[in-house]
Amino acid sequence: MILAFAVAAAVLFGSGAYLLLKQDLIRMVAGIILISQSGVVTIIAASLSRGRAAIDVAPGERVSDPLPQALALTALVIGLATVALLLALVHRAIVVFRTAEQDELAATEAEHEAGLERRRQADREEIESDPDGERAP
Amino acid sequence: MLLSTALLVPWVTGVLLVALDGRRRVIAWLGVGSLAATLVLLAVLAAQVFTGGARRVRTGDWPEGVGITLRADALAVAFALLSVLVLLAAAVHEASGGARSRTFPGLVVLLAAGLTGLFVTGDVFSFYVFFELAMTASYALSAYGGKRRQLRAALVFAAVNLLGSFIFLLSVAGVYRVTGTLSMDQVAGRMLDVNPNAALLIATGFFIAFCVKLGLFPFHFWLPTVYAGARPAVAAILSGAVANIGAYGLLRFGAGLFPEQLRHAGIALVVLGAASIVYGGVLAVARGDTAEMLAYSAIGQVGYVLVAVGVGGPVALTTAVLYSVVNALNKALLFLASGLRGTLVAGAFAVGALSVAGVPPAMGFVGKLELFRTGVAAGSAALVVLLVVGSALSLVYLFQVYQRRFWRADPASGGVVSPLPQRLVTAALALLVLAAGLWPEPLIALSGHAVDMLLAVGPG
Repeated sequence: MILAFAVAAAVLFGSGAYLLLKQDLIRMVAGIILISQSGVVTIIAASLSRGRAAIDVAPGERVSDPLPQALALTALVIGLATVALLLALVHRAIVVFRTAEQDELAATEAEHEAGLERRRQADREEIESDPDGERAP
Repeated sequence: MLLSTALLVPWVTGVLLVALDGRRRVIAWLGVGSLAATLVLLAVLAAQVFTGGARRVRTGDWPEGVGITLRADALAVAFALLSVLVLLAAAVHEASGGARSRTFPGLVVLLAAGLTGLFVTGDVFSFYVFFELAMTASYALSAYGGKRRQLRAALVFAAVNLLGSFIFLLSVAGVYRVTGTLSMDQVAGRMLDVNPNAALLIATGFFIAFCVKLGLFPFHFWLPTVYAGARPAVAAILSGAVANIGAYGLLRFGAGLFPEQLRHAGIALVVLGAASIVYGGVLAVARGDTAEMLAYSAIGQVGYVLVAVGVGGPVALTTAVLYSVVNALNKALLFLASGLRGTLVAGAFAVGALSVAGVPPAMGFVGKLELFRTGVAAGSAALVVLLVVGSALSLVYLFQVYQRRFWRADPASGGVVSPLPQRLVTAALALLVLAAGLWPEPLIALSGHAVDMLLAVGPG
């Protein structure tokens, strides 16, 4: 059983890490989701005990450890919240940059910055006649 | 009681403030008020802790071992005080300049709640919960400003740090698996009987998670984009308050829970720290942009903390606490000052620069002095040489920037001077840095006390 859980967690983490390294932002979010699930699987695997739920147990009866279940629930909720936040960020980025590729993201940003810098330079040249190219890129 | 109040005040007010429009002056100042109240509560708590020892609260009156324990010892209150102070400075900075987004004040207050909770919790899993509370607030904060640069910074920051958080979670599951408990005190006791390989694996997981947070050398790749992309106030928050999670985590988990593993990995930690110092310093010298230079400088500075943790023993750990405090205040001061213009600001920036380089009147000198003592105590000439080289590099890069930004009039700014309250905040921080440099005894006593308590709780 432990082995099954370990393999499941490893596969989830591995494919998550692979997706995380992709250029596409949506794949990156999918990677984060998989890795968060790998965390949840590991928590469940941290205490594999059989028995009844830990509520209203007769004496002498076997009880399954309630703690990892509580932890897994909490981790799921936190994972959900962070993924929602991440998706909102990605959505905003796609609206602003009009692309979901990280390379293009960096490129459009660099272009935008260069444009701003050119405008700043032009302003500077207007203010004083000798331009100084002080800023290294 | 005081402990729960100090945690609840920022939590409740933060939740309320997020719902209100933070662009209005009143709301922004309410946020500042809430942070100030938290700071006062923490200061009173700190006074109690120093005179009467650590405070403990069991949440919900559950029996021992079932309920989550909140425990305020000297290390916890020192880091909580430091982080809330930095958050307060950043919040005043933005409130007086006019916050640009609805959520900024609320998020900063929630971040204060998350950080305070994480420092005072005595339970490994609720550490993770507060950790995520603080991180979620800072992911949202790093997008503050909403421009392209900030958005990209926020994406990078969130993706990398979420990975770090889940690695932390995996280690938490591992701790529960091998010790059957999540309470830090019990974990520290039972860790000694655990299979060394398993313990080392778990410790490595925690170490990676905290290094990602601190931005140490092999895990630093996200840091320059984020610190340079975020707005100055947010960069100050990230490097002065959020990075404290990493330093605190290394101390609490490393020295408190895994002292054996820390001893084994000491050399590796010192090497990584040294690589951080050199890498950060050299790249900072090569950068033209102020924010980027400060980002690389941050990588270099946290290297000193890791070196001190790696050397181990009371003297070195005291230095690590002391240097974390010094570094957080330096970075908050420099990032806040880097976005401003005017006479007071140039002075404040110079104080911060002197402090990072470790020149006497500033408190950075005390930090560097303790580091040298650590190096001498460890009997390592290489370490002392490394410290000298690191300091020299920081002097070069900081005054390069100082010269470029404050000596030459920048026509692009058109001689516009920043609003007075913002400049006063940086001046106040600079005064604090100077005062702590001139009268360092309280700070040194505090760090020593914190480490004594930390080592007393841990086994041996």
